[in-house]
Amino acid sequence: MDSSFDSSGIARPLAPVRPLPEAAARSAQAVQVRTRKSRWPARLDLLQSASGLFLALFLVGHMFFVSSILISKEAFYAVARFFEGAYFLAEPRPWLVSGVVGVVLTVFVAHAWLAMRKFPANFRQYKVFAEHKAQLRHGDTGLWWIQLWTGFALFFLGTVHLYGMLTQPELIGPYESADRIWTGNMWPLYLLLLFAVEIHGSIGLYRLALKWGWLEGRDPAATRRRLRAAKTAFSVFFLGLGLASLLAYVQLGIAHADKAGERYVPQRASAVKLGELEFALSRRPGG
Amino acid sequence: MKKNAVSSGHRALTLRILRSSPTEGVAPHWQDFHLEEAEGMTLFIALNEVRETLDPALQFDFVCRAGICGSCGMLINGKPGLACRSLTRDLDPLITLAPLPVFELIGDLSVNTGKWMRGTAERLETWVHSSQEADLTALEAPMEPELAEAIYELDRCIECGCCVAGCGTLRMREEFVGAIGLNKIARFRLDPRDERSDDDFYQLIGDDTGVFGCMSLLACQDVCPKGLPLQTQIAFLRRKMVASGL
Amino acid sequence: MRIIYTDVLVVGGGLAGLRAAVGARRRGHDVIILSLVPPKRSHSAAAQGGMQASLGNTVKGEGDNEDVHFEDTVRGSDWGCDQDVARLFVHTAPQAVRELAAWGVPWNRIKAGDREVIMDGKRVTLTEGQAAHGLIAARDFGGTKKWRTCYVSDGTGHAMLYAVSDQAVAESIPVHERMEALALIHEGGRCHGAVVRNLVSGELTAYVAKATCIATGGFGRIYRVTSNAVINEGIGAAIALETGAACLGNMEAVQFHPTTIFPAGILVTEGCRGDGGLLKDAAGHRFMPDYEPEKKELASRDVVSRRMEEHIRAGHGVKSRFGEHLWLDITLLGAAHIDGKLREVKEICQHFLGIDPSRDLIPVRPAQHYSMGGIRTDARGHARGLKGLFACGEAACWDLHGFNRLGGNSVAETVVAGMIVGENMADFVESAAGELQVSTALVRECLDAEQAKLDTLLHGNGTESGAELMRRMQDIMTDKVGIFRTGELLHSAVEELQGLLVRSRRIGLRTRRPGANPELVTAYRVQKMLKLALCVAYGALQRTESRGAHFREDYPRRDDASWLKRTLATWHDDFQTLPTLDYEALDVTAMELPPGWRGYGARNAIEHPATAGRAAEISAIRSAFGHADRFTVQQALMPFDHLIPSRFRGRNARLGETS
Ligand SMILES: Cc1cc2nc3c(=O)[nH]c(=O)nc-3n(C[C@H](O)[C@H](O)[C@H](O)COP(=O)(O)OP(=O)(O)OC[C@H]3O[C@@H](n4cnc5c(N)ncnc54)[C@H](O)[C@@H]3O)c2cc1C
Ligand code: HEM
Ligand code: HEM
Ligand code: SF4
Ligand code: F3S
Ligand code: FES
Repeated sequence: MDSSFDSSGIARPLAPVRPLPEAAARSAQAVQVRTRKSRWPARLDLLQSASGLFLALFLVGHMFFVSSILISKEAFYAVARFFEGAYFLAEPRPWLVSGVVGVVLTVFVAHAWLAMRKFPANFRQYKVFAEHKAQLRHGDTGLWWIQLWTGFALFFLGTVHLYGMLTQPELIGPYESADRIWTGNMWPLYLLLLFAVEIHGSIGLYRLALKWGWLEGRDPAATRRRLRAAKTAFSVFFLGLGLASLLAYVQLGIAHADKAGERYVPQRASAVKLGELEFALSRRPGG
Repeated sequence: MKKNAVSSGHRALTLRILRSSPTEGVAPHWQDFHLEEAEGMTLFIALNEVRETLDPALQFDFVCRAGICGSCGMLINGKPGLACRSLTRDLDPLITLAPLPVFELIGDLSVNTGKWMRGTAERLETWVHSSQEADLTALEAPMEPELAEAIYELDRCIECGCCVAGCGTLRMREEFVGAIGLNKIARFRLDPRDERSDDDFYQLIGDDTGVFGCMSLLACQDVCPKGLPLQTQIAFLRRKMVASGL
Repeated sequence: MRIIYTDVLVVGGGLAGLRAAVGARRRGHDVIILSLVPPKRSHSAAAQGGMQASLGNTVKGEGDNEDVHFEDTVRGSDWGCDQDVARLFVHTAPQAVRELAAWGVPWNRIKAGDREVIMDGKRVTLTEGQAAHGLIAARDFGGTKKWRTCYVSDGTGHAMLYAVSDQAVAESIPVHERMEALALIHEGGRCHGAVVRNLVSGELTAYVAKATCIATGGFGRIYRVTSNAVINEGIGAAIALETGAACLGNMEAVQFHPTTIFPAGILVTEGCRGDGGLLKDAAGHRFMPDYEPEKKELASRDVVSRRMEEHIRAGHGVKSRFGEHLWLDITLLGAAHIDGKLREVKEICQHFLGIDPSRDLIPVRPAQHYSMGGIRTDARGHARGLKGLFACGEAACWDLHGFNRLGGNSVAETVVAGMIVGENMADFVESAAGELQVSTALVRECLDAEQAKLDTLLHGNGTESGAELMRRMQDIMTDKVGIFRTGELLHSAVEELQGLLVRSRRIGLRTRRPGANPELVTAYRVQKMLKLALCVAYGALQRTESRGAHFREDYPRRDDASWLKRTLATWHDDFQTLPTLDYEALDVTAMELPPGWRGYGARNAIEHPATAGRAAEISAIRSAFGHADRFTVQQALMPFDHLIPSRFRGRNARLGETS
């Protein structure tokens, strides 16, 4: 008879906590004995998203700046000079732009490197995914495929563009840009770049929201539908804006083709508004 | 739907099935079976009819035939789903059926999900880790009713493998734990009876075969027959694991 | 010749098998589990409604304890159960629930404060006490005095099975999946393991074990209309029967569940009615109160099923192209309740009927649901007639359920029996009797015999179709050995089944592939299933009384005088076409609760001569003990402590109870 029984044969409650049987105890500790896992995967994942987010936000700003050409040549000119520090330095310094380009380029390269880890590692993986996508006909899976290809394209297109900006920061201006685009035959590249980046970026932002659970709200399914709509709206808006600006540059480029190479100098650089800046601007290097 | 009507007024169905028999060296090939649709016909009924009347060797797996055991996952017109609860009336008259990818193929529509799931359970240690054994005669430890329901919400997974088959990431990289694995971790993480900390979970899923491998394709969420909140759980885990890994 | 040795072989990866395996493993023994399917796909996962255990946490469970649970179980069984086993069970069930809670089962919990429920078609407010907040909740289920059924929404079996299965993984217990036990290896009344067929490769392997446990679940698939899974074909019970040494108990005791969706036979849980759902007829009339004014929709299953069929016969069924049915109305529970607590039901209605149960009525009709009968064991789970063979869960006739099991008592039985049998198997393995003494010659002989049978099917020149025999058998069982039974119908069923059994010896196959071959599987299974069907039909024919789920229209009264006994079926040689039936009398003089009226259903039993005497004895004992506590009184009436494994002794704590 078990010792926990009293004479009436009725058991007393056992001690509240008994040690675990050996086998169970083993399983409970299994986690602790393994070697510690690297922290890098977490950091890299975060960096991938952060770099993507940075680039996407940068592009939003970038597109607005670039589209200032739609307002006027002067507006674009002012923006360009702004980034050369014309508004707070004694004189505009294009290397500032090079610096910004450098930073963006670094993030760009970092992002590309981080994201490329997700690329199919070999042909077998590539084929499996392509087949899977064709069979499943699933929206978000298809979006990733697009992101993959646009990312791949960006790798080349973006690099060319950034290289140009890095090496010739001073050649940013209404005529300079327009000449580059038209006379320099860069418009096909920009056209592709525009599509690639806007589609890639908007899908990227959409994915970011889902990936990290932003804006989930009470009904994540409904949020996801709304995010999808927002993603499309984002693409459409910036493509429209970009196309319009590109068209403006092209038109300007055609008009300016015979004087290609000539730099833009603001005629009546809106004296009222810009005031003393006029002086500074007139002293820009090469001006 | 009239165009396919036969004399009885029911549609003529074609089941186009990917046949194979690895043990006998029969490579995958499509085979068509024709049968007449019946009222309330599910793929369970249709496949059994094929086996009883047309080809007694056809292999497939059903257990509960009620959408609760997860045995009958297959690619129905290319999409992973539970065959037993797919009504033929919701499908076109030409229905293609193929075994779930990723899992070891047994033959025809039958795959070895069990082996995969056991592997996942061992790898992710999907059981309550507790250093103390409860005293069975004492009152149970209380738990907030809402928490119990939240745990059950994640516990509803039937290991059908649809999310596994639907995930492009997993198909490319078979070592990825998949949404089901991540959901299991989320489930045990939520369970106060499991004493593991986020650091412990990080050991299990803190890399690119774990939560950081997920590329948010969300097919898992869209094909899960139980409607598990995979999207939000993976996002949640990602935040927690990044916090724990930084 | 492939032989695998282990201490304990568990055939069946459902709740019962898994829990027994974990128990034996935790005692340090090597265990292997065999299963037709991955364990988490076992039909235990289908249990929706819940698990009974007298925790007594909720207001409607106040005052509940082992005694009340015991009485409900015995009444439910129509006094057919083994009362020792019932005691052992009700004692251990609360521990089982609490163990599962510790293993991670997210039991629904009590929320303190007011809560609206539907009772008897009306809204009622219940107030749960502060002390109960967060403790395990319970719902109402048919045939119980208290709300005692612990539940996890309506996925109780699923949550339980996953928790226990995960424990088996934690214990590193190997599960050999897609493996089917085809025969038991035995000699001289001692079981040594099983011959097992790999369902993928077709290969036979002998698993030799000190202790073998059959936990293969029910055999509902001998019926055409059943809530059971397609793998519930009873092969585990059949191979025990085929030893000629072990026997099957009470095979005629087959339960029909009142509410399976029509015509697919998929179950919607009793929880629907427990939570307030109503049964209605073609005219939209709630008819159960007319028949059972006291318990109405919540009388025990056998009673409700019979009343429903009776009502359909009286012409009140809803006519449809597939036949007649009745309605289950849960619209009054409201969408919120259905979305939260009856989700599986909602999904089933959506996917199989295309309706929304919060707005539409559910077409239902009774269907075969549970096998009370099975491998007859003693209270320790040891099979009668074969040492070293154990059985638990639905496959066993441990005899907790007698002639009708209560809803929620079955999943409870699986884990409780698993706990108890796991310990008892470990004891057995550690004892001298558990020593492994088996000759390889015997193992080879068994393997060869099974291989020869398969070869005959594969390469013989039989002409019968297994699928055809299977269909016939299922039709016969559903049409003639159903809810209402008569001598005439049963007689013709037995005759036809015998004919089928003879024909099944001449099955021929179209596919001769030895490996994964569904046609071959059907062929050898139907041979075995026909024997089970004959045990059911013949047992029912012989039993000229009505008890629990076994209802004879020609003998409508329960006859304790001549039938308070358990049917034991054996099958000595393969050329028999009928089982040999013996009877094991139940000892009224040792019962804690002598036969009486169940509190619902007919009140017309023929009394056993010893009943009155025992009843007098009991009241004498009760008055002699005066104010002694219930444990002491119980101990005097029917001691059962010696049956409880030492791990599970000790009193169950309860909220209101000071112990
Ligand atoms: C639809 C439905 C709902 C139910 N709801 C409830 C409920 O709410 N409450 C309740 O208490 N009860 C309920 N029950 C009853 C209860 O679920 C079962 O009785 C119980 O789960 C049986 O468990 P088990 O472990 O005995 O068998 P199962 O869970 O059926 O497991 C049998 C195992 O044996 C294996 N097996 C079978 N044959 C062989 C063989 N020859 N060789 C090797 N392996 C084999 C199978 O693979 C399986 O793993 C319900 C039953 C059904 C059908
Ligand atoms: C060389 C160029 C680029 C390549 C090769 C590239 C590639 C990729 C790939 C493959 C992904 C998917 C990663 C994943 O699924 O985990 C991705 C994500 C993303 N990309 Fe890029 N990309 C490039 C440039 C850019 C640019 C210029 C932007 C800015 C608009 C950008 C914004 C994003 C964003 C926001 C994401 C989502 C980040 C995440 O999922 O963590 N990418 N990129
Ligand atoms: C700091 C870094 C950058 C600077 C200074 C810069 C500057 C400019 C300028 C001045 C133009 C006008 C055309 C021209 O002069 O050639 C332009 C256009 C464009 N840039 Fe950039 N850019 C930068 C980074 C990027 C990046 C990272 C991308 C995306 C990968 C990008 C995509 C584009 C596109 C698509 C256009 C065409 C716009 C249109 O269609 O209107 N730029 N950029
Ligand atoms: S998460 Fe969903 S799809 Fe994946 S296995 Fe579980 S139930 Fe199936
Ligand atoms: S589909 Fe796969 S990539 Fe992630 S979101 Fe789902 S697991
Ligand atoms: S057979 Fe169980 S889910 Fe389909």
